[in-house]
Amino acid sequence: MKKLTKEQIDKALKVLKMPADSKLITHLNACVHCGLCATSCMYFIALQNDKYTPARKVELVASLYRRYCTLTGKIVPKLVNARELDEQMAEEMIDILFGACTMCGRCVKHCSIGVDIAYIVRVGRQMLAAMDLVPATLQATVDAALTTGNNMAIPTEEFVDTIQWMEEELLDEMNDKNARIPLDEKDKHILYTLNPREPKFFPLSISAMAKVFYAAKESWTLSSKMYDVTNYGLFSGNNEHAAVIAQHLYDEVKRLNANTLVLGECGHGSRATRWEGPNYLGMEYDFDVITVVELINDYIRSGRIKLDKSLIKERVTMHDPCHLSRNGGLESELRFALNNSVSDFVEMTPHGFDNFCCGGGGGQLAMSEYNDRRIKIGEIKAEQIRKTGASIVVTPCHNCIDQLMQINHTYKLNVKIKSIAEIVADALVIEK
Amino acid sequence: MYWYHWTTILALSICISVLFWHFIRLISLGKPKDYSRKSGSITKGVVYSSTKAMVDHKESAYLHIPTYFAGMVYHIGTFVSLFLYVFFLLNILLQISLPPWLVWILVAGLLVSSICGFSLFIKRLLLKPMRNLSNLDDYLSNFLVSLFQLFTLLNLLYSNNIEAIYYIIASLMLLYMTVGKLKHMVYFFAARYHLGFFYGWRNVWPPHKSK
Ligand code: SF4
Ligand code: SF4
Repeated sequence: MKKLTKEQIDKALKVLKMPADSKLITHLNACVHCGLCATSCMYFIALQNDKYTPARKVELVASLYRRYCTLTGKIVPKLVNARELDEQMAEEMIDILFGACTMCGRCVKHCSIGVDIAYIVRVGRQMLAAMDLVPATLQATVDAALTTGNNMAIPTEEFVDTIQWMEEELLDEMNDKNARIPLDEKDKHILYTLNPREPKFFPLSISAMAKVFYAAKESWTLSSKMYDVTNYGLFSGNNEHAAVIAQHLYDEVKRLNANTLVLGECGHGSRATRWEGPNYLGMEYDFDVITVVELINDYIRSGRIKLDKSLIKERVTMHDPCHLSRNGGLESELRFALNNSVSDFVEMTPHGFDNFCCGGGGGQLAMSEYNDRRIKIGEIKAEQIRKTGASIVVTPCHNCIDQLMQINHTYKLNVKIKSIAEIVADALVIEK
Repeated sequence: MYWYHWTTILALSICISVLFWHFIRLISLGKPKDYSRKSGSITKGVVYSSTKAMVDHKESAYLHIPTYFAGMVYHIGTFVSLFLYVFFLLNILLQISLPPWLVWILVAGLLVSSICGFSLFIKRLLLKPMRNLSNLDDYLSNFLVSLFQLFTLLNLLYSNNIEAIYYIIASLMLLYMTVGKLKHMVYFFAARYHLGFFYGWRNVWPPHKSK
């Protein structure tokens, strides 16, 4: 690593020295080094190395805080392990905070004190971002979103072609000219968003959701340019980039004059838009923002769509995306959707708030240099799935789907992985 | 009053002032400003965070029963010792004597809690992952508090002989509380608040069923 400049160090330390509120200093001062969080983190469990203990991740940031922001750390640094921000420290931070944490937050509830470990990891990433030390692979994903509007840099023509192809399929299947996938239409009730993995790799999930919209007779549209629900600024730690990406969707809702922004199946994207977006932009949104799961449940509750759960006879289990269940409050909503769509639903152990991350979160899927670790920690999820005896795994997150497909292959699970829209579409009863 | 009484009163004043300063700093920095649309209740989240969330299916408890139990007993012992410390100080003026049965209950309890404290110290020293996680502050804090509990116990039994040592140890611990991790006495409550705020705002806590 190149020698850190004073300017880089100053920028990083500014993150610690200028807290917006009492949350940062609270969590930096609270850890008592009891070590009891180790067994709640899949990195520690799967890799059996204590450097992956959540408290050690907190300690990296807290030791810098003590060194530069506390009297004891300045006078007797050895006493409290107050460390210098130098090249060695920066390298350690990159390896551990980017490469060994999915920011899933599983350890938080289990911490004996209540330290928000995932939040401190994000602060550490913020410091690295301030020093321009975000791994190039992750930064490339952010840059693609900044420059093209979607993190996979899919050209607009390619996207439009895919959507038109899906629309033709839908028209054929429904045999009704009203079965459409509207693009860039103004004054619709809903602006629907996608994870770019859908047009790129899984276009059938788009037509599945279009089928649900058709059944519900919804007034909706997609945007041909700003449809990306993801926001890798959440993971890179660069709040300015995160704000620009959040602004894309905000502006698109305004341009198309939609009432409601519906967040497609992406855990972190939903969190970044619903919960963090207004904070990145420093303003309240004057339109509704809901996830696709809540929307589908609304249709079910109000009778706008009818489902026949006997149509799906196979055993189904669900993987809770961390940013929808644990960090998004949708644990019971996810179950409502699934219980209405399938007849044999079985939970993983543990599940819901306590669920293990798939291993692909926190930007891990974008950082190929940590692939081996990512696949290894995925073994925990693989075993969870195997124990359910299910043949279908449903999850409302296309990043999770990608990781689950890889562990399905590596650990020979022989299961089908589906999104919520796909499973609901399979159970849909279309009344004409 | 002897010199060690004055010394400990000074240490106590410094300790309270510094911890109060930490508390005031937290208050003045304030709670997070969240622009997202709230979907739950902060109050309910904070109540849950400070009560059931600390026991409800908590891995740090049920996967580590001996350590967690020792930690709980040790903390109860610390609070009892602090309470007795204040009592001893006031008793210089009040001259109340505790009933023997109560003294023996306290002695037995403090014996168990200080053993728990020293056991945690030894565990930290012996296990490599714990050593890797620990710094000098962790050892000192743990040792001083365990010693404080032990001398509280001894002071209950032999106050005439060891009172001076007791107050010196108490003073050292109180002064150390201002620099080391013992400050978590304040930050623990703030951490529970912030967790409750975070999960309460998003309607994650308290856990709920869908309708
Ligand atoms: S947030 Fe998740 S991955 Fe990160 S330390 Fe905690 S449990 Fe481990
Ligand atoms: S459980 Fe919490 S307090 Fe204990 S070491 Fe882990 S982060 Fe620190």
